[in-house]
Amino acid sequence: MANQLIEAGSNGHQQPALNDSQNLVEARGLKMYFPITKGLFSRVVGYTKAVDDVSFDIRAGETLGLVGESGCGKTTVGRCLVRAYQPTAGEIIYRKAVDLTKDAQKRQFSSHGFKHNDPSSQDQTIDLATLTGRQLSPFRHEVRMIFQDPYSSLNPRMTVFENITEALRNSGMRSRREMKERAGYLLKRVGLRPEYMVRYPHAFSGGERQRVVIARALVTNPRLIIADEAVSALDVSVRAQILNLLEELQSDFKLTYLFISHDLSVIRHICDRVIVMYVGKIVEVAEGLDIYTNPKHPYTEALMSAVPVANPRQRKQNQRIYLEGEVADPSNPPSGCYFHPRCQYAKDQCKTETPELKDMGNGHFSACHFAGELNLRGAVMS
Amino acid sequence: MTEPLLEVSDLKIHFFTDEGVVKAVEGVDLVIERGKTLCLVGESGCGKSVASRAFMQIIRKPGKIVSGQMLFRRKSDDGTEEIIDLAKMDPKGYPIRQIRGKEISMIFQEPMTSLSLMHTVGHQITEMIRLHTDTTPTEAKVSAIKMLQRVGIPRPERLIDEYPFRLSGGMRQRVMIAMAMSCNPTMLIADEPTTALDVTTQAQILDLMLELQHDYGMALLFITHDLGVVAEIADDVAVMYLGRIVERGDADTVFNEPKHPYTQALLRSIPKIAMQRDELEPIKGMVPSPFRRPTGCQFHPRCAQRFNLCNQVEPANTHLNENHSVRCLLYEDAEARTSNAEAAAHG
Ligand SMILES: Nc1ncnc2c1ncn2[C@@H]1O[C@H](COP(=O)(O)OP(=O)(O)OP(=O)(O)O)[C@@H](O)[C@H]1O
Ligand SMILES: Nc1ncnc2c1ncn2[C@@H]1O[C@H](COP(=O)(O)OP(=O)(O)OP(=O)(O)O)[C@@H](O)[C@H]1O
Ligand code: SF4
Ligand SMILES: [Mg+2]
Ligand SMILES: [Mg+2]
Repeated sequence: MANQLIEAGSNGHQQPALNDSQNLVEARGLKMYFPITKGLFSRVVGYTKAVDDVSFDIRAGETLGLVGESGCGKTTVGRCLVRAYQPTAGEIIYRKAVDLTKDAQKRQFSSHGFKHNDPSSQDQTIDLATLTGRQLSPFRHEVRMIFQDPYSSLNPRMTVFENITEALRNSGMRSRREMKERAGYLLKRVGLRPEYMVRYPHAFSGGERQRVVIARALVTNPRLIIADEAVSALDVSVRAQILNLLEELQSDFKLTYLFISHDLSVIRHICDRVIVMYVGKIVEVAEGLDIYTNPKHPYTEALMSAVPVANPRQRKQNQRIYLEGEVADPSNPPSGCYFHPRCQYAKDQCKTETPELKDMGNGHFSACHFAGELNLRGAVMS
Repeated sequence: MTEPLLEVSDLKIHFFTDEGVVKAVEGVDLVIERGKTLCLVGESGCGKSVASRAFMQIIRKPGKIVSGQMLFRRKSDDGTEEIIDLAKMDPKGYPIRQIRGKEISMIFQEPMTSLSLMHTVGHQITEMIRLHTDTTPTEAKVSAIKMLQRVGIPRPERLIDEYPFRLSGGMRQRVMIAMAMSCNPTMLIADEPTTALDVTTQAQILDLMLELQHDYGMALLFITHDLGVVAEIADDVAVMYLGRIVERGDADTVFNEPKHPYTQALLRSIPKIAMQRDELEPIKGMVPSPFRRPTGCQFHPRCAQRFNLCNQVEPANTHLNENHSVRCLLYEDAEARTSNAEAAAHG
């Protein structure tokens, strides 16, 4: 049974402390296991360890990138943070905003622009992992997710206006005019015409729908946004416009982003720090450019070698590292270092010993036994 | 020698909505060749998906193909070669259903629009295979597993019993890819097929597509906003703006000698890894309202190189050479000028 695995909540009553007052979120020992069932009586035959003992910090006001192979657990991490899932184990320590009274909340919504509380005056913390039901509702406004699949995350039976303002209505907002203004303002900011509000989600192109989802996430003046492949359906020009908007909101309101993307040039552009995951675990963390020029994990090196360059003349020069061997299965991961069956540098030690995430200095962490010795190749800088 | 598999001319698709007529596709001309890759790029909402859905006659209501031809070359039932106009086919008729999925197959932009929540992944792929080929359920299952393996799904023999909602975004996308490629189509339309894939998995999928293309002479129409991917795989590139193709040429020419101001601006907005932050350059201005299309050149309100004629004269398609054409008055003028000059020199 899944419940037997749930350790979270055992220490939920004390006020959890943050290790660093700069942090907005500290995730510690986060696990999300999905049961695999079989047969008529749904017997549990194993677990997909989608997120397996992951710890990381999100600093207030930063953009933290999260990259990794398809299926490695990025979306699951995000869904744990917004508590769309109850994590199997671990803590999500979150620094609360100053309590908003109903009155203050009203004032906040009454203008088109974004207003925000000064985050420096907040030092109360809470473990989001232990909250349930109604306790979570205040945080649903503060921590928002831009979901990866716009089509299934929008309600097809509601107009775009209703979709965007749903959270406001749920929190008791009644003025239709105010909501219209706000939805119209946001649509314009993401490059869509406010008149489109009356349409249903199916009447949009893929990239237009994705921007509707972005507007919906922004509608509550959130503090933390988990953007899951939020710009992946956009052409370069519209994408530049959205990235500029996100950066502008960040500098105006100290917004914090966890930015999940497979597009390493976008990550390069927008992120202050980057986390690399592989099969449910963090394998590398580094500041900005460092991860590109100076990767310290062989998986990151392979990732960097596969970045396509936008010039057909450089096709042949591309020296891609092919990842040979079976793709790891999160319900039955390899022994030792999970990457060892596909790693060109693996030695015997890698088959038996699981490497820890080691501090390599300068905010750079790597979970490879040979992180200090290997001389890995960075991305082709074009 | 290559031969055209699909020749599209003057394709127009309009949506008849309560607010007015949305002219999503407004005169598209395209040639798709056997064994070749054509990449279609362009701004979000410019009509790429709608146009490509027309090739399979799956335009959603209230949309309609209002004019144009889509000549498709195929083997008829008696084995001879025939050319049919897809635009004239009944979307619900038997003939198009024979072509759809088998001869022309599509990887949809959003996997969940075409995967069913109610059925397992294995059920959906084997149904697809059995609909179009003469195989037993066991054989279909074996080839489904094989295909899932080739798109890099771990432990495919277990995955086929999963439901799509239990898969990651990229896994769903790869299930779609496996499904679309499982019948060896003559033409594959891939609409943003790798948006949810990390670069290493993406590279593997692109290799697989090119391999099938090489083995079976499959034509590939690849829609993507990722210009890195375009540079990697395209033989030819078509650039679309507001329902029309504004530039077309071989990949090398379009990337290194782009002529249309829109193409030039598009290439400038690519974020580069080596670049400093805060340098992104979006194209200024908003996409015009589909109800009030600009006069003259459709791009003129946003164009940095416009001149006095641009808001009056609609540019025609100008052939710069055999493999390169552009729809912009700058080049029409230039050509007219040289031909005038030539005429003058000879006269
Ligand atoms: N609701 C669920 N039930 C069961 N398994 C799940 C569920 N959601 C995700 N998984 C599994 O957890 C693993 C991680 O999935 P996740 O969606 O977090 O990956 P991801 O890193 O976001 O991948 P992608 O880049 O493809 O979106 C996958 O093996 C997936 O099949
Ligand atoms: N049912 C509909 N009713 C009205 N307009 C529609 C409908 N479906 C699509 N459109 C419009 O048609 C235009 C073209 O849409 P299409 O999906 O082809 O764009 P696209 O080029 O694929 O864009 P993207 O890159 O964002 O996927 C868009 O402006 C869209 O809003
Ligand atoms: S025709 Fe004029 S407005 Fe249109 S792209 Fe060319 S220069 Fe710009
Ligand atoms: Mg995901
Ligand atoms: Mg599209």
